[in-house]
Amino acid sequence: MRMDTVIMGGGLSGLACGISLAKRGKRVAIVASGQSTLLFNGGSMELLGHVNGKAVTNPLEAIATLPESHPYSKIGADRIASLAERIKLLFSDSGIEMTGSADANHWRVTPMGVAKPAWLTLNDHLRIDDLNNLPAKRLALMCIRGYFDQPNAMLAQGLRDLGFEVDMIEFTTDDITALRRSPSEMRATSLAKHLVSNNALRRLADQVNSLAGDTDMVLLPSVFGQSDSSDYQALQAMAKKPVRLVSTLPPSVAGMRMMTQLRHYFRMLGGTYLMGDTAVSGTFEGDRLTSITTAKLADMPLKADNFVLATGSFISRGLRADYERVYEPVLGVDVDADADREQWTHFGVLQPQAYFGYGVATDGNLHCLKQGKPIQNLYAIGSVLSGHDAIKMGDGTGVSLMTAIAAADHIRESK
Amino acid sequence: MATNDIYKKEYDVIIVGGGATGAGTARDCALRGLSVLLVERNDYSTGATGRNHGLMHSGARYAVTDSESASECISENMILRRIARHCVEETDGLFITLPEDDLGYQQTFVEACQRAGIRADILDPEEARRIEPAVNPDLIGAVRVPDASIDPFRLTVANLLDARMHGAETLNYHEVEGLIINQNRVEGVKLFNKLNGEHIEVRGRIVVNAAGIWGQRIAQSAGVNIQMFPARGALLIFGHRVNQMVINRCRKPANADILVPDDTVCVIGTTSDRIPIETVDDMRVTREEVDVLLKEGVKIAPSLATTRIIRAYAGVRPLVASDDDPTGRSISRGIVCLDHAKRDGLEGFVTITGGKMMTYRLMGEVATNAVCAKLGNTAPCVTATQPLPGSEEGAPSQSDLTKRYSFGQRAAIGRHGSLAARIEKDNDIDNALVCECEGVTVGEIKYAVHQLHVHNLVNLRRRTRVGMGTCQGKLCSCRAASLMGEFRNDVKGAQEDLAAFLDERWKGMRPVAWGDTLREAQLTAFIYEGLCGLDMAVNTEGKEDVQ
Repeated sequence: MRMDTVIMGGGLSGLACGISLAKRGKRVAIVASGQSTLLFNGGSMELLGHVNGKAVTNPLEAIATLPESHPYSKIGADRIASLAERIKLLFSDSGIEMTGSADANHWRVTPMGVAKPAWLTLNDHLRIDDLNNLPAKRLALMCIRGYFDQPNAMLAQGLRDLGFEVDMIEFTTDDITALRRSPSEMRATSLAKHLVSNNALRRLADQVNSLAGDTDMVLLPSVFGQSDSSDYQALQAMAKKPVRLVSTLPPSVAGMRMMTQLRHYFRMLGGTYLMGDTAVSGTFEGDRLTSITTAKLADMPLKADNFVLATGSFISRGLRADYERVYEPVLGVDVDADADREQWTHFGVLQPQAYFGYGVATDGNLHCLKQGKPIQNLYAIGSVLSGHDAIKMGDGTGVSLMTAIAAADHIRESK
Repeated sequence: MATNDIYKKEYDVIIVGGGATGAGTARDCALRGLSVLLVERNDYSTGATGRNHGLMHSGARYAVTDSESASECISENMILRRIARHCVEETDGLFITLPEDDLGYQQTFVEACQRAGIRADILDPEEARRIEPAVNPDLIGAVRVPDASIDPFRLTVANLLDARMHGAETLNYHEVEGLIINQNRVEGVKLFNKLNGEHIEVRGRIVVNAAGIWGQRIAQSAGVNIQMFPARGALLIFGHRVNQMVINRCRKPANADILVPDDTVCVIGTTSDRIPIETVDDMRVTREEVDVLLKEGVKIAPSLATTRIIRAYAGVRPLVASDDDPTGRSISRGIVCLDHAKRDGLEGFVTITGGKMMTYRLMGEVATNAVCAKLGNTAPCVTATQPLPGSEEGAPSQSDLTKRYSFGQRAAIGRHGSLAARIEKDNDIDNALVCECEGVTVGEIKYAVHQLHVHNLVNLRRRTRVGMGTCQGKLCSCRAASLMGEFRNDVKGAQEDLAAFLDERWKGMRPVAWGDTLREAQLTAFIYEGLCGLDMAVNTEGKEDVQ
């Protein structure tokens, strides 16, 4: 099988890169395990949330001050604004409706009621543009009876701390009660699977309408619409008050929805998405990668002019650590990591952990290095990259998207 | 009884220490009709009781070097199978000889076992490989003994519950700041309530010091010197149960030579290092300890090399110094009961120490005998024959369980025995699962919060195993924290508690943070920090070293 570009990894960065290339007529294949950290998404994309523990108000300005090793610096801080516009377009072309801007963070509300800086937030999710000017005064926090993946009491307290008045209202519908008979069925994705028919949504809207009282806005857990926002829209059409969703503990329905929409758009553009497969090795000739093999296509190496490594961090097995070292398991390319195991982590679970900054080493054009030498047709993007702590900086999804588009540009310019 | 009323009463006996020994003593005293208060500075079973293999020794390990301990072990082993069967899994154990060991030791070992009354059957290596496929296939000899696996948390709670059913009062998070001494007589304890910061004095006719390694400090506060010999042991828990039987090395006791199956996991240990008494509260496992445990562990069961390690932990054996052996292993682990009236001229004060988790009941009996002698109580000890709550006649059998109950109910019955009947299960919400790995329901959490002295998630984990399964509390800890925040009407406290719980888990994971354990850690960070912003909800300043 011969492709223009083969992308290893079908998460956010792999899909964004694939879409960007396919849109320009390239033959692109994505090898995707099917897992993605979008399952832990809170309904938003984050460009840069924190620097040195302080919340960022203007990401573009803050990005200009980041160290050279940060992936944004490799792309060029001056390019971020224009890439941000292209990414917004990519989302809207995929049918994902989000709002936000790269020069002014807004706030998303987490399942525990914490306001976190965000760049783009899904239009059906609760978004606060200005903490001094809340989008509603009094909220109806609708809590599904027996659903424990939204920590209701914490969420209510957090919202009150932000200045909202909150009515906590427990409710259920016949559909949800039926689901609850199996004790493990009360997860966001199974709720989303069952709350699809017009009747089920009607019964839910009736409950909301009768219980929401004098409130200005209704909050529901984000358990609507695994493939698009139509279930939410149907619900909103029947509800008498504005309805906003709040993200839940994993699995994230919003994240699955975004995955589905990006994947669908990529395929529409003619891309090949090899679902349920993973890259296992590569063949190098000089400073080029000539082919890769995958777990399922062991006898049929995938050849391409360019390759993209988008396999993610430890969590996605794009990076591995054993007793002695940190390494990149597919191609054996160079990583930036401490040699001494003692340095990888620190006591204090909420303290910064060094391993979050580990990842694949790249040159200024995102080329992977092997034994110190750049591989001319191999790019690394997304969470597999070194040079930033996605957890403490709140830049994980931003780095995935920015490096994806930047690598796609390099690939288009390479010939 | 309300806590304030507990303070006002005067007791026959106040027991200091909520480990297995203190709990066993409290039960024995209560069963003999004494009025009892037990106080524990942290949670129950947080000291050496909760930081060992979970091994119910047959005594074979001590047969060659310490025949007294060996006899005590086999006799207690047989007793616990009867009175605590809901805490015991009858696995049997192997003592294996590897090519690097001296096969001649096997004969010495078997003869010593027989002298101590421990059944010890020599198996040929082929038979050993057949009955325990995880064993190192290179073994050249094997002996089968009646070792077993025991849950020390459940055992301690069962003893405490029975003590309470017989009138005893128990207080966790109450630290002894000093003893009330009048002339040459101890008349009670000065307590600090760690939950609300109150200082209280409670009176009792006898105070029993059952505080394990921390007993040295309690004695010191009364001007009595007991020279403790802290010997630290580190252990590793593996992510699934590799072995079905306990596997020991058939040689003189050494580092990392016991692998014990516990519920769904298995545990290798221990190291043994003499440590200064000042460091007994620092339970961090070092890189060197991990390296030794792994190197020796794979010799017992080679598949451990590729099995995920869930966490590392360490405990301190409360030995009483009797000679100057630097390894701490030739010391008799026999029971030491000190009547300080005879020893130091201080009336009303008894120390029970030495021994081991395995002999906790006997230690309780010995201590209670000393107390009763002082009080002129002549009631006989019945703890060797009377089953613990959860193990009474008529408790449901395993096959009953699978037929009649849901997964969550079965798991709860496994944990609480016949007491599981007290768990609310009347409606679908009570039956809803909070922890899928361990089958913990909303009803069980309510039961634990209201009846098992649960103040935080770490307590809850010890009572119910919530967050102890393969996912190590990834989602269930948040669900449980939120529910507890609601039951207790304290949301901020629940978030702080959740952070402390995750920190406690991390302390055990960090020494073994590579492979899938590092992956799990990153996953936890993605969920609790990235998605939820827990690090922003709680104050993390200066918390790096919080215990």
